[in-house]
Amino acid sequence: MASGCLAKVVCSDAKHNFLVHYLLALAVILASPLLFSIRYLDSKQAAQPLEMLVPLIGIILLTPVFMPEQNESIRDVVRSKKTSYSLICLLRLLMAMAVLLSLIGAFVLYMRHCGSAVTFRHFTGSAASAAVLGAVGLFGAAVSDDTITGYMSAVIYFITNFLLKDKLGIFYIFSMSSGSFAEKKWLVLMSVILTAGTFTVRSIRN
Amino acid sequence: MIFFKDCKRIARSMTYLIYCVIVALFFFTQYFSDCRTEVGPPFGETKAVEDHDLIMSGAALSLAEDYFANLYICYPFGFYKSVTLNEKKQEVIEDALTEMTGLSMEELTKLRDNAEHYTSYDGLHEYNGYIIDSVPVSSSLTYDRFLEIMKKVNKTLGGGSSYKPDDLIFKFSQVPMTKEEALEEYDNFTNKDRVTGALARLFSDYTGIDAAILPVFVAAALTSEDRRRRMSDLVYSRKISSFRLVFTRYAALITAMFLPLLITMIIAQIQAVSIYGSNISMTALFTLPSFWLVPNIMEAAAVGMLFTELFSGGTAVIVQFLSWFLSLLTGSGQLYGKIRSFTLICRHNTVFGRDIFMTYHSQFVFNRIFYIVFSLAMVTLTVFVYETKRRGAFNGIRLFGKGSLLRRKA
Repeated sequence: MASGCLAKVVCSDAKHNFLVHYLLALAVILASPLLFSIRYLDSKQAAQPLEMLVPLIGIILLTPVFMPEQNESIRDVVRSKKTSYSLICLLRLLMAMAVLLSLIGAFVLYMRHCGSAVTFRHFTGSAASAAVLGAVGLFGAAVSDDTITGYMSAVIYFITNFLLKDKLGIFYIFSMSSGSFAEKKWLVLMSVILTAGTFTVRSIRN
Repeated sequence: MIFFKDCKRIARSMTYLIYCVIVALFFFTQYFSDCRTEVGPPFGETKAVEDHDLIMSGAALSLAEDYFANLYICYPFGFYKSVTLNEKKQEVIEDALTEMTGLSMEELTKLRDNAEHYTSYDGLHEYNGYIIDSVPVSSSLTYDRFLEIMKKVNKTLGGGSSYKPDDLIFKFSQVPMTKEEALEEYDNFTNKDRVTGALARLFSDYTGIDAAILPVFVAAALTSEDRRRRMSDLVYSRKISSFRLVFTRYAALITAMFLPLLITMIIAQIQAVSIYGSNISMTALFTLPSFWLVPNIMEAAAVGMLFTELFSGGTAVIVQFLSWFLSLLTGSGQLYGKIRSFTLICRHNTVFGRDIFMTYHSQFVFNRIFYIVFSLAMVTLTVFVYETKRRGAFNGIRLFGKGSLLRRKA
């Protein structure tokens, strides 16, 4: 009964609040072959679209998890409900992650189909970059209680990667393009810490 | 006064605080650290010159090698794209080559057969490459006709190729600087630019990257705040006209976001005086960056206001991010003289190259004025949208829900 209720909540949430984000993430993936060559690329070349464009879907999908309740009127209604707000947000996050992994997975498979030398590593590397960008946005949005600040934090992190490049060390999200994969595990760790921090901040605030 | 009230609101917002921190951070890590030491003559560097013969022979040779390999490297959006053409499109290149060189296809094929042949392997495929010493340029080929051919070749390759007319000087006309030229460049730096004129271009180049994107966040956050705080109805009921309200808010945004830039300009001027002494221009580090950067702030803030009123803050961010991202990456290899009539982020990442900058000076002036006018037009449109919402005739464009196209969010 409870699980059926939660499934309904997630479906309704996805349909009314997040469908536009899912569609936008899909648009980014579909636009990638227009912006990048994805045919017959070697390992380093294939990492370029997977690190520089595809991870942007992390910002689109993960940052707005708390957005619907940003409007104070909606927040008042949500607070009066019996269902745990944190649980709903966690489900939204899992849903967003599922969409993110599916889109990246599909894109990697398409690149493979086009003859590029992509492996499972490319998939995990791209997903790690997307997750950390999204986690930075999510954290920014939760701390400031404003999704725009979340987007801003994630975009600044992205710009910083462009400008400072490997000077960022373990926080460099384009490392696969220069042949290094070691940074990715740190990015995953950072994503987990930021997401945990986000939920902690949010539960304290509520 | 509303202007000061809005300034206060902006100054207290989290997005503005982040904006100030990032402007300062990028200024100190990029421009300030680059300009710590005194600049000397650029001995050993290359310079781009508008030598038509050099450009035509270089482009013809490169096109011949690419044509024989049927492998063209392009950067349509700044990213690597290897292009292999089908037979029909190869014929277009073939026509271009024969017209440029004045050679028949048989003669060109002979040239290929005598060329050094190599095979490269990119990890997946083998490519046949040819190293040709030189190809002739037809004596009847004028530079204007050559540019037309290059335009067609670039279009056939899908854009962003080495043959894009705007980039030909930078690709094929780089020559090593002689000692005299290096000294002349230095003379331009010290006498014509009076040091700070050149530093102002470098300052604007670095700061322009963040000034073209960050204001959208501050503007979108401010515009959506009324709705989020349930203050819209209260503001709507005030006597003040929509025109005055929106433009005052816009003026407050521009003033507030220009302020941190002005502080960094003052710091840059103090740094320049401490290194080069007082015999330098005292105004160039304020005038040029203001003219260069204010249109960027205006454009990003106008997009932030218009799209937030029309759709949502997220949409505004996406629209500005897209235009910023594409402008930054188009021709990303070119870090100086990247100034055309509609370039959003103008680039000139060197204290030298005054001649190149002056070549595009009229385009630069047009560009900046265009963005000022474009921004004001967008703000006027925002006034119209705001007024319609105020009258209750419009409530943002909706995608989902009853009779909607795009769902509007706070």
